[in-house]
Amino acid sequence: MSDFLIYSGYLILLINLIFYSFSFFRKKEVNVFFLGYLAFSCVMQYSMEIMYHLHTNNLFLSNIFIIGQLILLGLFYNSLFTLKSQKSFVLISIGLALLILGLQFMMDWSQFLRFNLFAIALTSLLIVVYALIHFYNMLTESKTYYYASIGVVFYLLASTVLYFIGNLTHNLSNEFKFLSWQLNAFLIIIYYFFILYEWKKSFSK
Amino acid sequence: MDVHSLPEKEIVAIILYTSLFLMILSVVLIVFFYFSRKKIIQKELEKKDLVLQYQKEQLHAIIFTQEEERKRIAQDLHDDISSKLNIVSLNSHLLTAPNLTEAETAEITENIINLTTKALDNSRKIAHNLLPPVFEKFGLNAGIEELCEEFETSKSVKTHYKNEIDFDEKDIDRHLHVFRILQELMNNSLRHGKATEVWISFTEKDGVNNCNYEDNGIGFDSANAENQKGLGMKNIDSRISFLEGTIKITSEIDNGIAVNFTF
Repeated sequence: MSDFLIYSGYLILLINLIFYSFSFFRKKEVNVFFLGYLAFSCVMQYSMEIMYHLHTNNLFLSNIFIIGQLILLGLFYNSLFTLKSQKSFVLISIGLALLILGLQFMMDWSQFLRFNLFAIALTSLLIVVYALIHFYNMLTESKTYYYASIGVVFYLLASTVLYFIGNLTHNLSNEFKFLSWQLNAFLIIIYYFFILYEWKKSFSK
Repeated sequence: MDVHSLPEKEIVAIILYTSLFLMILSVVLIVFFYFSRKKIIQKELEKKDLVLQYQKEQLHAIIFTQEEERKRIAQDLHDDISSKLNIVSLNSHLLTAPNLTEAETAEITENIINLTTKALDNSRKIAHNLLPPVFEKFGLNAGIEELCEEFETSKSVKTHYKNEIDFDEKDIDRHLHVFRILQELMNNSLRHGKATEVWISFTEKDGVNNCNYEDNGIGFDSANAENQKGLGMKNIDSRISFLEGTIKITSEIDNGIAVNFTF
């Protein structure tokens, strides 16, 4: 069951990547950072899977993933914004977040090899804030990346709490160990479906 | 293994992070809703302002056209009737003069008769311009027919008029608006469009009356909003809103104008 959820998540992500790159190279309509985010997620997901099968610690990849996610989605929203203050807010907050995380990793390198609660909280919150600013901008203007943003807010809020308890689940019995991860895989599928729906609404024509 | 083996520090950190995360999140959401509400209310106010502005402009247009119309009527009365009656009065005074020969009297009387006929004629024309009697007596169809005839005879414009609707006499107040709109459109076609042919047709579809108006004049660029803000157009607009209808104006330079409205 959990394998099925995880692999169908991978599949939908791959489909998303193919569709979005198709639209990107055909019509140049897709935001380059969003496409970059999809490609990055794809690479990360598949390398995590490979490392899992090679029985190596792949937790440091999750750290790379959340930081890359912050940078790419941040730049994505930055390019969607038109107000100068919003643009600079995004850039400054990304810079500050990277600085803080860099300092943290410098002080305690072992944080990089495990679930870094602070990094997860910080990056998720920032991305949610960007998405909310985007929603705010869309109130009176036409909708762009509306469904994708809904997916982002939904998934990041839900998954952040699941990541928080990620370090706890190490010590649970095998029966419950993967429950939160199954839930996470399910949330990922919904998230990717939102992105797919966005493609259908905005770019399929 | 059970949960208790986890260092206490770790559990505390997790709880702290989770609650802090949710706290910051709720603050962010509240701020988001606060600003969204503000933005929506502001947008609504702007919309209301726009409506008010539009109403004001319409009112201005109405007052302005009323004044123009008054000026026109005053001028007509002054030029065509008063001046003639003045001469009539002068001539009448002449008649009272002593020692007039027969021929002179005859000439003066003829003058008076001529002038009064002209004055009568003019007064009829003025009244007719204000409200065509044919329209009042026989309804919109006859009114438009007469309007077309008038344009054909006096203004050398070829008109094609087609009517498929049997107009109800009870709606004559509404029909007056239609009549005025067509009058305005025809005058515009002639004056600004330099049209030589116009087409007017009334059709009915699903209980909605439709009027199609076209000419072959020089037209205008309908994409340019400036062209839609003339006084005549504003007048037509307010009449259409009286009729609770819709209007669509399409035109291209050198390609005439096509107006379609419902009433």
